[in-house]
Amino acid sequence: MAGSQLKRLKASLREQGLIGPQQSKKQKRKNAQDQKGKNDKRLQRTEALASIREQFNPFQFKTNARGPKFEVTTNKPVGDMAAMAIKGRPGLARAVGEERRRQTLLVEMQRRNKVGGLIDRRFGEDDPNMSLEEKMIERYTREQQRNHKKSAVFDLEEDDEPMGGLTHMGKPLFDDDEEEPARDDFDEEDLPSGDESDSSRAERRRLKRQRLAGAAEEQEEEDGQPERKKTKKEIYEEIIAKSKLHKYERQAAKEEDNELREELDKTMPELQALLFQREKPPSNDQKGPLDSIVIAGKDKAALDKDYDIRVKQLAADKRAQPAERTKTEEEKAEEESRRLKELEEKRLRRMRGEADEEEEDEEEEKAEKKGSAEGQAYDPFSTEENDEFGLGKGVKYRPTATELGFDDEDDFLIDDDLVASGSELELDSDDMGGEASEDEDAESEAGSDDDEFVKGILTEAESKDPVFQAAENAKGDDENGIPYTFPCPQTHEQLLKVFEGIEVTKLPVAVQRIRALYHPKLDSKNKERLGQFSQALVQHVAYLGDRFEPHWFPTLESLSRHIHSLAKSFPIEVAKAYRAHIQEMEQQRPLSLTVGDLVVLTAIGTTFPTSDHFHQVVTPAMLAIARYLGQKIPQGLSDYATGTYLSILSLQYQQFSKRYVPELMNFCLNTLCSLAHEKPREKLGFFPVHEPAAGIRIKGASKTTIRQLNCSDCQPNQSLSPEEEGSLKVAIISTITAVLKAAAETWHKLPAFYETFQPALLALQHLTSKPNAAHLPPALTAKLTDTASTIARLLQLARLSRRPLELHHHRPLAIRTYVPKFEDSFDPDKHYDPDRERAELAKLKAEHKRERKGALRELRKDAAFIRRENLRIKKERDAAYEKKYKRLVAEIQGQEGQAANEYAREKAARKRKAARGR
Amino acid sequence: MPAATEEVAVKTSVKRKRQENGDQLKKRRKSAGSDGEELQAKIEKLEAEIQESKKHYNNIVTLIELAQKHNDDAKAALAGSEALCRIFIRLLAAGNLVKRKDVSEKEATVTSWLRDRLADYRGALLSMFRSENLALNTLMLAMALLKAEAQHLSDSEEAVFPRYFFSDIIAALLESPAEQLREHFSEKFIDKYDDIRFYTFEAIKAYLTDHEHVDEGVRDTVFEMLLSMEDVPESSEDLENFYIEPPQKKKHPLRSLSQHKKQAQEAWLALMQLGLSKEQRKKVLEAMATSIAPWFTKPELLMDFLTDCYNSGGSISLLALSGVFYLIQERNLDYPEFYTKLYSLLDADILHSKYRSRFFRLLDTFLASSHLPAVLVASFIKRLARLALNAPPSAIVVIVPWFYNLFKKHPLTTFMMHRVPRTKEEKDLLEREGLEDPFLPDEKDPMETRAIDSCLWEIVQLQSHYHPNVATIAKIISEQFTKQAYNLEDFLDHSYGSLLEAEISKEVKKPPVVEYMIPKRIFTKAGPGVEEKDSLLASLWDFGSS
Repeated sequence: MAGSQLKRLKASLREQGLIGPQQSKKQKRKNAQDQKGKNDKRLQRTEALASIREQFNPFQFKTNARGPKFEVTTNKPVGDMAAMAIKGRPGLARAVGEERRRQTLLVEMQRRNKVGGLIDRRFGEDDPNMSLEEKMIERYTREQQRNHKKSAVFDLEEDDEPMGGLTHMGKPLFDDDEEEPARDDFDEEDLPSGDESDSSRAERRRLKRQRLAGAAEEQEEEDGQPERKKTKKEIYEEIIAKSKLHKYERQAAKEEDNELREELDKTMPELQALLFQREKPPSNDQKGPLDSIVIAGKDKAALDKDYDIRVKQLAADKRAQPAERTKTEEEKAEEESRRLKELEEKRLRRMRGEADEEEEDEEEEKAEKKGSAEGQAYDPFSTEENDEFGLGKGVKYRPTATELGFDDEDDFLIDDDLVASGSELELDSDDMGGEASEDEDAESEAGSDDDEFVKGILTEAESKDPVFQAAENAKGDDENGIPYTFPCPQTHEQLLKVFEGIEVTKLPVAVQRIRALYHPKLDSKNKERLGQFSQALVQHVAYLGDRFEPHWFPTLESLSRHIHSLAKSFPIEVAKAYRAHIQEMEQQRPLSLTVGDLVVLTAIGTTFPTSDHFHQVVTPAMLAIARYLGQKIPQGLSDYATGTYLSILSLQYQQFSKRYVPELMNFCLNTLCSLAHEKPREKLGFFPVHEPAAGIRIKGASKTTIRQLNCSDCQPNQSLSPEEEGSLKVAIISTITAVLKAAAETWHKLPAFYETFQPALLALQHLTSKPNAAHLPPALTAKLTDTASTIARLLQLARLSRRPLELHHHRPLAIRTYVPKFEDSFDPDKHYDPDRERAELAKLKAEHKRERKGALRELRKDAAFIRRENLRIKKERDAAYEKKYKRLVAEIQGQEGQAANEYAREKAARKRKAARGR
Repeated sequence: MPAATEEVAVKTSVKRKRQENGDQLKKRRKSAGSDGEELQAKIEKLEAEIQESKKHYNNIVTLIELAQKHNDDAKAALAGSEALCRIFIRLLAAGNLVKRKDVSEKEATVTSWLRDRLADYRGALLSMFRSENLALNTLMLAMALLKAEAQHLSDSEEAVFPRYFFSDIIAALLESPAEQLREHFSEKFIDKYDDIRFYTFEAIKAYLTDHEHVDEGVRDTVFEMLLSMEDVPESSEDLENFYIEPPQKKKHPLRSLSQHKKQAQEAWLALMQLGLSKEQRKKVLEAMATSIAPWFTKPELLMDFLTDCYNSGGSISLLALSGVFYLIQERNLDYPEFYTKLYSLLDADILHSKYRSRFFRLLDTFLASSHLPAVLVASFIKRLARLALNAPPSAIVVIVPWFYNLFKKHPLTTFMMHRVPRTKEEKDLLEREGLEDPFLPDEKDPMETRAIDSCLWEIVQLQSHYHPNVATIAKIISEQFTKQAYNLEDFLDHSYGSLLEAEISKEVKKPPVVEYMIPKRIFTKAGPGVEEKDSLLASLWDFGSS
């Protein structure tokens, strides 16, 4: 385009037809006549003008300085090209910004340093669309509505106390419709107070309805009578009086109900016991003949009571449901075996160290923790090899579980009925054992689970109670001098006090009574009490173990089993007690264990599954055993005996899972070498040999008979005669030999069995060699030879079955590739950061930067606006001042001028006067 | 000038002591009457008189007599010797004890008389070392006197270290019964002043060589003292703390590190030549690499000692290992068949030893080189695996990650974990005859044990170890080897106690699993008619009921 800006403007105006050669009058008239086109034309005109303005203002649009890039590459229509080229409208944006500031910032500026003011919150005050009338109406309705909400305050029928019972989301929990039929089921007489949900709404509504109807009737009656008609006021007064009366009556009834309910609450434990006494049909079947016996034996009162209880129980049991179908023997057996199988499978899973589903998280956490401590490079729970191992076991053990059948039951309760009947109270612990085995069949046939067993106790306790109350000596003792009631001992000291007068062998009876008396079902606190009691019991077992006498062991066994049974309900408490014992043992006497410790360790081994990969109690216990076996350098024969006990125990711990205990081998072999008459000439293996103390080596014991070790052998500081010593030594050697044999049988599948037991074979052969055998009884030599041959055979087998290791049949690991990845639709504006976090961070940073810049720009503009505004105000002020000043000056000048004129005039006048005067 | 300030410090300390003693005397005065007061006054008077004029020099004799009678009256002796110390320091400073040629005969007589008295005083001081109560104060006095003598006794400008007196002090120190004294000495003087240390070494050496028979107690004290001197200076420039200003000569032995080291070395050698008990030997070996060997200018002199110890076997050779390693590393000691010897150290006791972790740290260093023959490494692995079969859990926990590291470093040895029979004949042979472990456990030479042909069945067995963590760790050798290496430090220093502690200290949160079956019997035996088997315990142990 050529020409100056002005020329171009002219040209474009002409083009649009806005200017042109002057029109003639005729043309003008014609245009004026064309009315309807007139408006359009004006619009067109303004539009054209605007476009021309735009065109000629180079700063109106922001465009690419060198024009659009790569015109060819776009496929947008050409018409849009111009629009595309425009990147922004700075003028417009500035105008908008200016406007916004005027609305906000300027207002703020003007308001500055001014305080106070009123805000009109009346409805519709700021709404210009409403007329005054409308506003008034609207305000009035609102006020009315607000007042209306409290209308219920004066409702006479409304119960003034808050709704009884619980609600859920504002709705009552017991819906009327549901409640009615439920109530119908009950015998109202049996349940005088029932479980009334007091003042249910339905009832209230019904009452209200009745009352209104009654009132209406009365009114009608009165109407019917010829007497004077009552005024409305009277009628209402009557109604009010009646409703008040009713209200009072209802209150009275409710109070009565409350009293009754409190009474019932007191007898709640009994009732509840009855509720839970319901037994499954099969056990009922079992009890059938028993019941009849009881009927024959008991007196009538007891029978009646029993009957009453039954009836009440039936009536009260609102959850009465059809009982499960009676199962056939096969079904029961199957179910039981399935349960056992499941438990067995769980055990196997734990043994392999696999976590249960619910334990998974925790285990993972633990693994992580461990990993951080130990390098975090392996996944402890995913060895295929182990799976195979476990599966093999599973197959093998399944039948055993079924065979074991229903032995699961505890037999402490059997003699409970003896207590109840009060006649045959001869409860010797020995007897108990016998009875236990007798009753086992019945028990196992009952096939009940743990809950059933618990109920058993409860029933006994319940039925026992009246007996106690009836008896004259309520706190009396039975023939053995064991009281019927005990306080529940919470600590070991208390326990010692409670058990003070009781013979040790009778303790199980006492424990059993305590367990019955404080059964958790009887009182909410009993659970805690029994938990404490079980802890005290653990301590007591250790205590008794330390002061043991040989005939106490059945008692200890029974107590351990009691603890076991308690551990089912209080696993944490019992575990804590055991762990506390282990901790104390390890801190005070890690290498000089007492008999009590041995008993406790044994009890742990039976109470908890020793086959678990990890167990909170067993693992520390096993470590404690291994520590003794590994670190103790035996000084006397008692140390050897203790070690032997622990070897047996550790082997028993590992009977099922067949885990290897190196310390056991060390101890056994070292003991054999130490007790042998002569020191072996060459090294037998890689186990550490401790030179024995003087007098330990066996000498001339060929006449001794072999006996078994017992716990008194484990007690140190005893003076033994040479014969006794000899017999003890022989006993130790014989036991160790047996242990070695058992160990060989347990571990013969282990891959390094050959290396492990080769030294054992050597040691045994060393003992049976000539110079040693002469000092041993022939029976023992025979036993040694026998064991040696067994081990030799197993070694041969191990050698034959040994294969080279093939541990690493893993899928080969993929090598990491660093080949760049190609993006099919690459966009240079986009960020392709593979690191997600970094990408997000970069994004955030960019946004932050942008926002920051924007904010800065805004602030700058605000400042400029404020400056501009201030300048404007100042200018205005200055201008006003100037104007005023000028006005004043002008005024003064005017006055001056006036005065000067006046003066001149005066002067002239005087002059003239003077001139005239002269 | 540091020496001057030191002097002031010493004087003030002496003063303080005196103050304390004065206090004590005061206390005593209250309890025991005017006895002590008189004595104190008397001593003060004597001292004042000596200061006044030469006429009263005979008072020195009285005071020395007082000091010599320290067995009878310790307080008096102490007060006397303190007074004497002040007197002599003053006299020395005044130059009264310096022999000069230009003085009159009379004065020379006085000088020599004074010198004799000074010798008497020294004798009195040395004898006071034997008393347990006085020893500490005596030491301070003796050292103060030593300093004064060094500076003023000779005519020359420079101080001369009075070795004769110092070696007497050291001898008295060694023989003194006061344990605290030596501690004090090494803390206050030996650790602080390089020259004192230098002359101490010299004195000890002289003492040990001069005495025909050194009794056990003294030998122990010498040993302790030498052991306590462990901060070996880095270079000659570090030698800058001197108790007594040394001669300005650059070449003076006090200013050369090698001379210091030589003294130390000679002292140590003198001690070692006397023969060491087993306990001492252990201690020497423990401190060898850190505090003894650095003193030696010719550590080669230690070679015989170390080699003997190393060859003697047991824990001594374990301890000698670090010393030998020091020599090999620093002094290029050529130890023939080092690895054979190292291999022979892996005996049944090593994993149960107290020094297990120490040994493993060294073993890790020795086998760190990737240039060792795989056969040798395999022998070490196999031998340790064998030992692990009888090892405590804390040892297994170290061994297995260490194996892992070795496997990573020597891939050839991984055949011990994974060996697939290649030919059919081989397979058939395996089926028929099984496999004998080709490893020769009794072979002494680690290159000949054929361990590389063997497999690590032992570690696989330990994967079923009773302790869950040990078992899990043992499993790492059958996992994929994704980790670069394990940090051994994480696994060292465990014990039964720490493992137990770790288990017990965890709180029981989750209810532990309880055996679902309550056993019928624990201790008692089943009757003859019952089918069930007795538990192992019941059948092997007599619980009184049969």
